[in-house]
Amino acid sequence: MFNIMIVEDNQQLQNEIASLLVRNGYSALKTNEFNNIPKIVKESRPHLILLDINLPYDDGLKICTEIRSFSTVPIIFVTSKNTNVDELMSITLGGDDFITKPYNTQILLARINSLLKRVYPNEKSVDVIEYNSIKLNILSSKIEHNDQEIELTKNELKILHYLLINKGKIVSRVDIMEYLWDSSLFVNDNTLTVNITRIRNKFESIGVKDFIKTKRGQGYIV
Amino acid sequence: MSLGDYLRGRINIIFLNLVSLITLSIFLFSVGNTLDTILTVIITWIIVFIMFLIYEYRKRKLYFDDILRTVERLDKKYLISEIIDLPSFSDAVPYYTLMKKASKSMLEEINKIKTQRKDYNEYIEQWIHEVKTPISSIKLIEENNKTKTSRAVLEELENIDRFVEQALFYARSEEVEKDYLVKEISLEHCVNQVLIRNKRMFISNNIDIEIANININVYCDSKWLEFIINQIIVNSVKYRRSEFPIVKIYIKHINNGIQLIIEDNGIGIPDNEINRVFKKGFTGNKGRLNHKSTGIGLYLCKKLCVKLGLLITAESKENLYTKIVITFPKGNFCNLGAV
Repeated sequence: MFNIMIVEDNQQLQNEIASLLVRNGYSALKTNEFNNIPKIVKESRPHLILLDINLPYDDGLKICTEIRSFSTVPIIFVTSKNTNVDELMSITLGGDDFITKPYNTQILLARINSLLKRVYPNEKSVDVIEYNSIKLNILSSKIEHNDQEIELTKNELKILHYLLINKGKIVSRVDIMEYLWDSSLFVNDNTLTVNITRIRNKFESIGVKDFIKTKRGQGYIV
Repeated sequence: MSLGDYLRGRINIIFLNLVSLITLSIFLFSVGNTLDTILTVIITWIIVFIMFLIYEYRKRKLYFDDILRTVERLDKKYLISEIIDLPSFSDAVPYYTLMKKASKSMLEEINKIKTQRKDYNEYIEQWIHEVKTPISSIKLIEENNKTKTSRAVLEELENIDRFVEQALFYARSEEVEKDYLVKEISLEHCVNQVLIRNKRMFISNNIDIEIANININVYCDSKWLEFIINQIIVNSVKYRRSEFPIVKIYIKHINNGIQLIIEDNGIGIPDNEINRVFKKGFTGNKGRLNHKSTGIGLYLCKKLCVKLGLLITAESKENLYTKIVITFPKGNFCNLGAV
């Protein structure tokens, strides 16, 4: 499991980011000793660091330089400063990415995910999701069941992926739409209905019945 | 300064000379000089006096013309006292000293206000950065613990974030050149970022998006451009029609550039108001009645577009559509205009 270190002096925000990360399958390392961050990094060797710029004692840029002197751990700057100069500074000093507050959580997670994948290509990542003898292959955008497989479109893949992340829970239509919008798929209500119907038809064509159930007035569940 | 003005100013000296000349002539005549002698004296006197007047006039005219010419060429006209020469005629010297003193005190005043403004701007920026942390906190808290009210809170939070952003860009708009980086950016990426940021507003109001062939690169600063597009899109949503609202985003190639067109089928802008939509504080009838407009959004767009070397125009038919067109110049013009 990837261990992510959060360097953020706002206690509340630190806790919330931590719980967001834990919920998405990472382990989170919090710290309040802002005067010796590099030492903590040396000792606990996190896989990735989320670093704020405005911190008590040294600022994030300085901490980043210090960490870079002994480690190449990926660093994402998470900050409310959003001038080009700050962005440029943080990248030239060795930061790998730069996200401004208030950030979109889906985008934050996506950036973390893609950075981890790039830096640690050997660690196994979740490219195939299995559930009730159904396999969703995210890389090839296919569903498989008993040696039968069928391709999904971009929208369908995202919808199914989201339903499978939240398996066993009711997912409302608005939740699905927001998730799709975060991936730059700007669908409306009708398109969503059409897409759900198509996914169901595809499931039936490979012999799976009633995979996605409708909860009237609430949403869908798998 | 014309000759007439000058002579009018010298009227008392001319009069004095005239009186003296007459008195002298009477005196010379009464002591028994011939008419010829008196005439010679009078003519010599007049010639010398006129030459003196012409010399004085020329000196002044050259001096003042020089000052006036300099002031015309000067960028900041209030700095004239800094480069003016000491006048060669003594009656102007007190005015010269006076002007030096007055403009010195004015410069001090201007600098004081400049510093105050700078401090205030810095404070506003600082404040905005600080307020963004609690905004992120609330956002994460609500997203982590979804309840029935979360969606409403998050939607309002999107509004707060938008207002904060507007304040930040307003504070920065005076000094765009301090913080911009013109490079090749993807228009599609820019538009997507804006739409993602406003997703709740679109989804909850059930607004359709139609994006066509905007996968193209332009030269601009992405952050400023995103802000401009954001303001326009928020307006499209604010002034939407109640049935089947739709926002269309597409581009058009023109001779010297690319046009990004954001079109909605909303309530539109009346013909008599369309020329004023980019003016500061303009809200229009509809804005005042229904939507709490501030008259800042489009004004800022225009201001930033001018600074970025883009052209922004509006086109509308009441109750049918509103089109905002941003033109990105291409080629040499771009290099000259934008950087």
